[in-house]
Amino acid sequence: MYKVHNKSSSFAKIYLILIFLLLYTPILFLIFYSFNSGGTMGSFKGFTLDWYRDLFKDMRLFLIVLNTFAIAILSSLVATIVGIFGALAIHSYKQRKTRNTLLSLNNVLMVSPDVIIGASFLILFTIGGIKLGFISVLLSHIAFSIPIVVLLVLPKLTEMNPTLMDAARDLGANNWQILTKVILPYITPGIFAGFFMALTYSLDDFAVTFFVTGNGFSTLSVEIYSLARRGISLNINALSAVLFLFTIALVIVYFLLQQRSNLKTMGVRK
Amino acid sequence: MENTTIIEFHHVKKKYDDDIVLDDVTFEMERGKFYTLLGPSGCGKTTILRLIAGFTEATSGEIFLDGKKVNTIPANKRKVNTVFQDYALFPHLNVFENIAFGLRMKKMKQAQIEVKVKEALQFVNLAGYENREIEQMSGGQRQRVAIARAIVNEPDVILLDEPLSALDLKLRTQMQYELRELQKRLGITFVFVTHDQEEALAMSDEIFVINEGKIQQSGTPIDIYDEPINRFVADFIGESNIVQGKMIQDFLVSFVGQTFNCVDQGMKPNEAVEIVIRPEDLEITPTEKGKLKVEIQSVLFRGVHYEINAIDDAGNNWLIHTTKKVIIGEKIGLSFTAESIHVMRHDETEEEFDKRLGAYMEGESNA
Repeated sequence: MYKVHNKSSSFAKIYLILIFLLLYTPILFLIFYSFNSGGTMGSFKGFTLDWYRDLFKDMRLFLIVLNTFAIAILSSLVATIVGIFGALAIHSYKQRKTRNTLLSLNNVLMVSPDVIIGASFLILFTIGGIKLGFISVLLSHIAFSIPIVVLLVLPKLTEMNPTLMDAARDLGANNWQILTKVILPYITPGIFAGFFMALTYSLDDFAVTFFVTGNGFSTLSVEIYSLARRGISLNINALSAVLFLFTIALVIVYFLLQQRSNLKTMGVRK
Repeated sequence: MENTTIIEFHHVKKKYDDDIVLDDVTFEMERGKFYTLLGPSGCGKTTILRLIAGFTEATSGEIFLDGKKVNTIPANKRKVNTVFQDYALFPHLNVFENIAFGLRMKKMKQAQIEVKVKEALQFVNLAGYENREIEQMSGGQRQRVAIARAIVNEPDVILLDEPLSALDLKLRTQMQYELRELQKRLGITFVFVTHDQEEALAMSDEIFVINEGKIQQSGTPIDIYDEPINRFVADFIGESNIVQGKMIQDFLVSFVGQTFNCVDQGMKPNEAVEIVIRPEDLEITPTEKGKLKVEIQSVLFRGVHYEINAIDDAGNNWLIHTTKKVIIGEKIGLSFTAESIHVMRHDETEEEFDKRLGAYMEGESNA
C-alpha cells in the first residue's frame, strides 16, 4: 500500500493527517476537558485533577470496572476454549460443503446486529428463568465471542500440513498427545489472536450487555451511557481518558509482542 | 529363531468408495532388506505404504507385521516409522525435539533421549545441529532430520514415501548412496516408494513393480531389467524396443519377418509373443553385416550417449543408444546377441513366469 502512494506522497500525507485528526480530535477534546476546573465542557477555566480524584474515590465505579474486567477475562477464556474445539470440529469435516455451511453459520453470528443478539438473549434468559445479572452477561459475552475465536483459529488449522498428524501418530502419539503436542502448539498464534479479540469485543460491548444486564449489575460501557444520560459530568471525561490510556497501553503491548515474533521469524529465515 | 519375514500381505484389497486402489495384493518382505515399490502415480504404491504404517485400513485381506496380524492396530502401536514425502517435521520444535518426539511419547528418560538423539544425528551426518530450528535447515538437511526422527525409534521397518523427490539431482544421487549405506549399517528393513526407475534400480535389494493396484513383477533390479514380465514393466523400467513376434519353437523366435536364435523356452509352438530389445543392446554395424536394416530418423545427444531413433523397412521404430556418431538419413545395420532378445508372453502371471524361468534355469544347470 505504502509503495503505491509513494509518488503522490505529499497529498497522501496531508490526507492521512486530516483523517487521523478527524478521528482523534473528539477523544483529545474529551481528555482535555477532563482537566477543566469549570464544571462544563463549554469553557476551560483552569487546570485541576479533581475529576480524577473523584473517579478514584468512587467505590461504585471501581466495582463496575472490576466487573467489566471479570466478565471480559472469564468470557474470553471460556470462549477461547469452546472456540478452539469448535474450530477443530469444523476442520474435521472432510466435505467442503459441510465445512462451508458450518463456517457460514458461524459468520452469520458475527455479522448480525448486536441489538438482535441482545434481544434474543434477553428472551432466552427470561424464558429459561435465568436471573439477569452477572451470569446472564457472562453467558451472552461467551456466546458472542465464540464465533470470533473460531474465525481466528480456523485459518491456522487449515494452514497446518495434515501429514504432521500422520507423523505424530507414526511416532507413537495418541489422539490426546497429537492435540496437545502438535495441533495446539501449531495454532497458538491463532489462539492468542482469538483470545485478545474476544477480550476487546467483551470490554467494549454495549448493546448486548445493555439488554441482558439486570438490577445492580453494570459494566463500564453501560455505566458511562447512563451517566451521560443523567447529564454531563466531567467525571465521564476523566473515566474516558483513563480507559483511552489503558487501550493505548494494550495496543503497544500487542505491537511489541508482534514485533518480537516477527523478528524471530526473520532471524530464522536467514 | 527370529522370523525372517517381517511384512506379509495376504490378498489385501483396498477400495475408496467404488475405486479399487489395491486389487488382491499378496507379498512377503524379508527382514533387513531394501525394498522398493515402483510404479506410476496413482498405482497404489503409497496405499501399500499407508497400510503398513497403519494410516488406513484394508477393505479386505490380512496384513502381518513380524508374524502378528495388524489390520486393526493403530499406527501409534506399530513398530514402523515413516519418512514422509514432505518430511512432515514439526515446525514449532527444533531439530533435537523433532527427533526426540517419538522417544518422549515412549516416556524415555531425558538422559537416555539425549544419548539416542545424538547418535541418530551422527548417523545422518548432522552432529551439532541439535538446536537449529527447522526453518534454518536446507531441504537436504530436513531430509536427514526426517530420517533421524524415524531411525531413533529403532523400528522393525522404515517406510520412505518418495523422500528424495523434492531434492535436486545431485543431492538426490548423493542421498541414494547414503540411504543405501544407512540401511546396510542399521540392518532395518526399508520400504521405499518411488516412481523413479533409476532410483529403484540403484538402491534396492528387491523391486516390486506396481501398476493399477496390482504387483506386476517382483525381483532383484537385474531380474526385472533383464527379464521384464510384460509390456508395462519393460516400458516402465528403462527404455525398450517392443515388437510383436512369434515363438517358432524353443530357442527360435521370429519377428520383423526374420527368424532369430534366442535363449527363451517353455512356450507353445508358434505362440504369439512380444519381443523386448534394450536400446543399449543394439549395436550399429555396416548395413550388410546387420541383422536388421534401418534408416536413421533422428539423433539426440544425451551426454553419455547418442539416442537414435531409426525405422526399419516394416515400419517399426527402433531406439538405439550408442557412442558412435551417425548421420540422419543414413542406412545402417543393427546387430544384437541371442541373449539380448527378451521374449514376453501375453497375460502371463508372475507365478507362471517364475515357473517357466525356473524350468530353464534347471535346464541350464543340467546341460
